[in-house]
Amino acid sequence: MNSFIAFIMGPMVWISVIIFLGGLIFKLVGILGAVRQKEPYIYSYVTLKHSLRSIGAWLIPFFPRSARLSPVYYGISYLFHILLFLVPLFLASHIVLINEAFQISWPALNDSVADVLTLGVIAALIFFAVRRIRVPEVKYLTGAMDYLLILVVLLPFLTGFLAYHQWVAYQWITVIHILSGELMLIIIPFSRFSHMLNAPLTRAYMGSEFGHVRQARDW
Amino acid sequence: MQTKENAMTDTPSAVEKPTDPAIESGLERLTPERIRQVIQQVLKKETGPRFKAYVETCMRCGLCADACSYFLSNDRDPQFMPAAKVKNTVWQMLKKDGNVSRDFLRRAVRISHLECNACKRCAMYCPFGIDIAYMMLLVRRICHKLEITPQYIQDTVNSHSVTLNQMWVKDDEWIDTLQWQEEDARDEFEDLQIPLDKVGADIMYSVIAPEPKFQAGLIYQAATMMHAAGMDWTMPSSPGWDNSNMAMYTGDNEISGRIARKFFETAAKLRVKRIVMGECGHAFRSVYDMGNRWNSWVMPPFEVVHALAFYHELLTQGRITIKEKYKKKVTLHDPCNVSRGRGLHDKAREVVNLVCKDFVEMTPNREHNYCCGAGGGVINCGPPYKGERMVNNRVKAEQLAATGAEVLIAPCHNCHSGLEDIIQHYDLKMEIKFLGDLIYETMEKKIYEPEA
Amino acid sequence: MNGKTSWDWETELKEVPFDEWKTRFNWVQAPQVSQNGENIAAVVNLDDMAFSVCVNGKIWEGEYEKIWSLTPVSDSGFAAFVARDEEWTLSVNGQEWTHWCDFIWQMMKSQDGRVLGAAFQSDSEYGVIVNDTPWEDRYENLTGAVMTANGTSAAVVQVASMPGADVEAFRKGVFSVACNGIPEDRRFLNIWDISFDSAGRQIGYGVRTDRETYGIVQNDTLWENRFESVWKPEFLDENSLLAPVRINGKWQLYKNDAPFWKRRYDQLWHLTLSPDGKDVAAIVSTPYGRWSVAVNDTVWDVTWDTMISDIHFSKDGSSLAAVYKHKDVWDLAVNQTSWEMAADMVFVPCMSPDGRVVAVVIQKQGQYQLVVNKKTVASGFSFMADPVISSDGSKVLLKGIENGIYKRRIIRV
Repeated sequence: MNSFIAFIMGPMVWISVIIFLGGLIFKLVGILGAVRQKEPYIYSYVTLKHSLRSIGAWLIPFFPRSARLSPVYYGISYLFHILLFLVPLFLASHIVLINEAFQISWPALNDSVADVLTLGVIAALIFFAVRRIRVPEVKYLTGAMDYLLILVVLLPFLTGFLAYHQWVAYQWITVIHILSGELMLIIIPFSRFSHMLNAPLTRAYMGSEFGHVRQARDW
Repeated sequence: MQTKENAMTDTPSAVEKPTDPAIESGLERLTPERIRQVIQQVLKKETGPRFKAYVETCMRCGLCADACSYFLSNDRDPQFMPAAKVKNTVWQMLKKDGNVSRDFLRRAVRISHLECNACKRCAMYCPFGIDIAYMMLLVRRICHKLEITPQYIQDTVNSHSVTLNQMWVKDDEWIDTLQWQEEDARDEFEDLQIPLDKVGADIMYSVIAPEPKFQAGLIYQAATMMHAAGMDWTMPSSPGWDNSNMAMYTGDNEISGRIARKFFETAAKLRVKRIVMGECGHAFRSVYDMGNRWNSWVMPPFEVVHALAFYHELLTQGRITIKEKYKKKVTLHDPCNVSRGRGLHDKAREVVNLVCKDFVEMTPNREHNYCCGAGGGVINCGPPYKGERMVNNRVKAEQLAATGAEVLIAPCHNCHSGLEDIIQHYDLKMEIKFLGDLIYETMEKKIYEPEA
Repeated sequence: MNGKTSWDWETELKEVPFDEWKTRFNWVQAPQVSQNGENIAAVVNLDDMAFSVCVNGKIWEGEYEKIWSLTPVSDSGFAAFVARDEEWTLSVNGQEWTHWCDFIWQMMKSQDGRVLGAAFQSDSEYGVIVNDTPWEDRYENLTGAVMTANGTSAAVVQVASMPGADVEAFRKGVFSVACNGIPEDRRFLNIWDISFDSAGRQIGYGVRTDRETYGIVQNDTLWENRFESVWKPEFLDENSLLAPVRINGKWQLYKNDAPFWKRRYDQLWHLTLSPDGKDVAAIVSTPYGRWSVAVNDTVWDVTWDTMISDIHFSKDGSSLAAVYKHKDVWDLAVNQTSWEMAADMVFVPCMSPDGRVVAVVIQKQGQYQLVVNKKTVASGFSFMADPVISSDGSKVLLKGIENGIYKRRIIRV
């Protein structure tokens, strides 16, 4: 058991981070290459100015009309995405582990704050799931994969929360926590989570078509 | 308008579905191999990373729903939301690797040709900017190759391929119409000319084929404005005069490119400096954005000035003066292809305010306008589909009614026809006019003389 | 293109007071100038629905309800379509043809002006008329008429009826090529761009055989290869037909149904052959959005961002001139060298037979200029016709209007 834990807390972390980053880089290179080969015209229309204009407009909370039409979903989604990065990266126990390995550290979130934020992430995920069941147009689009993706994100946060409180089977929960966190990283490049990379690209393209060719706003 | 039950079935609206002979006879000829081969060819060979990204990236969040006038007009029936249209066409085609049935294709033709105006409003509501109109055009391209495009719009494409205009206007009919309009317009300006093939003129004026076919008076009005404003202009006597392009909407990219080539090369042959075009939206999009690309022109090789921008120029430069402003209460419809398509909405408002006394906005407006429901080739699928077109754009009728305006300005041919139907169907008690109609009505009929 | 020796290359200046016409007549349309520059002509209005053509101040005998398409023909003359009592015909220097019809358009002329032709319509039937002789067979519709120097004519004709919006009939093909009025057997969905060889005996054209398949017909034979699209074919000689064809989204030049050039381009059109038939040039785009010229499959080193409108060989094939637009202004390049004129418009260049002298009319700030070998030799004109260069290349004939006076001026190079 100990050697297993040592593996998933050691080499396996490396492997998942490499797959996560490497996968995204590989994907990006692949996209840019394929654009050059199959749709080179795209490079004639994308401009940095209009790409940033569009991405920027969509980063300002409640700025796009689309966001104002669905303020609850958009607001929760916006916070969720921030927490998704904020909580794991600024969690004291994560920073400790990184410090042990690399002798670097940064300020951590107060544990009880992190605890509440984790609950926030979990609540957001539950909200997403309920929305998939309750809102007809979302339900119409939803398939098993969508719940699976929610589960993939839910697991590391839920187990993290449970592990922190050490209510039951601490060791097992921790193992699941580590594994599910690694799983999430690994599948990002190979699932719809790759919108992490794709979304800025599609936004940049559409922003350029609107800003440069159509001379109109796209938010 | 619709019960909750049937909202979730596969019958998208309460209106009875007409049978389209072109779709039906096309479907009959198809074999499973042919279907698979065409779908694979279009989706795999003719697309690239852009399509792949759109398919991979959609998170099924449903934010596009509220963008779509079909969805809003059909009591939020999920089948009409943009992403659902992709789900019921492209996703299935990909999932089954092209092994889809005739019934599936019959539905795909309808979704792509009749339940989407390719207005791109949803691209503004998707946080990722996924271009669903592009994917609907891909489906249309598949339909084109499978020869199951609806009859009436296919006939316009056939006309384009033979005559290079949309309405089977024969070479002599075109010239004859111009000469007839010139003759009539001489009642107002005795020396008015519609100069044909004048090499070296500043402007080539171009129209869409419905003008010589049904609305020749619009050419008269344009000639009057050109003459009064003292412009150096010409019109071509040979094919290449029509800037419309229905092939762009059926996915017949080859014919679409051929039309656009002829158009710009006609301008090149006449050695004009720029092209001015009448109040049409899709034609504008075809020449400023789409037809040029197939020919390897990144941007149109000649500056293309839409009527809206041209009126703005004539009025703000004082080349045309308004005798007395139009008095009735007017509202303005923003055609997708000139507002969301080309950002001309602010100029349009300036022109309306220069010409009219009482202008009231409809909401939402500018880039966020609702499509007229006729655009993207939908109205060109013909009279059999008029009934559902009316149902599918109830939201526009509500928007129009809320303005309380007496006159609706629709500076686009497609919008004009589509909204005329809407006004009639929903009994809105509004007159509909082109912006050119109002300028012609209110302008001083005298020839511009530049200050010494 | 090149002035004949019988023309007056000695008199330095001849003038015709053109603006006077504007007071003499109700109004005057845009002028046309004869090829030798001796005559300037315009359609003039005499009265309500009464028009004539004024040539050097003298009007044609006939008065017409309408006149259009005034065109210079032969060295010194003009032809136009004229209408009387709602019937149309063609008039050459005021002499009407005997055949009248319901409408006439698309003036075609041989270089020497001896052969004139047009498309016509009578009683809703369509045909071509050459030197006053109409085709015997008439058709429901006719497009893309062409005519050779020896008077052979051809057009795309509709050979079967097609009720409104009948897409099934269209699908089976209702169009054919009629040569001298006689239709070929084979029908196609579409036919475009008829080409003849220089002798007018061989015929080639582009066709669409089904919704998405295109081909080339060379003298009754449809090439075996099928393409995604095709552009206008040209005969290299009587046995060789060249055509730009589209394969997998790129364009390539084919000859007699087989690849001729190796490279594939984003665009490839305006096939232009040197008069000796040795060189083949075309306007090409590569990569996407950049425009250049390919000569025998070798692309020029320069590319432009907007458009090349036309290219022209000198008689000996040594010079190739391209009219192009780059960064919003028009220019001329001769053998890859740009003239850097940054003009509002560049008209059709004229070259001496040896290609050493190139003259072209341009527009700048609303005025016309004549530029010879990069040097502006005349400016401030309100109108200019395309220049002519004497066959020895020593003189350029300028034809233009300056201060309301038409000027025929000989400029020594």
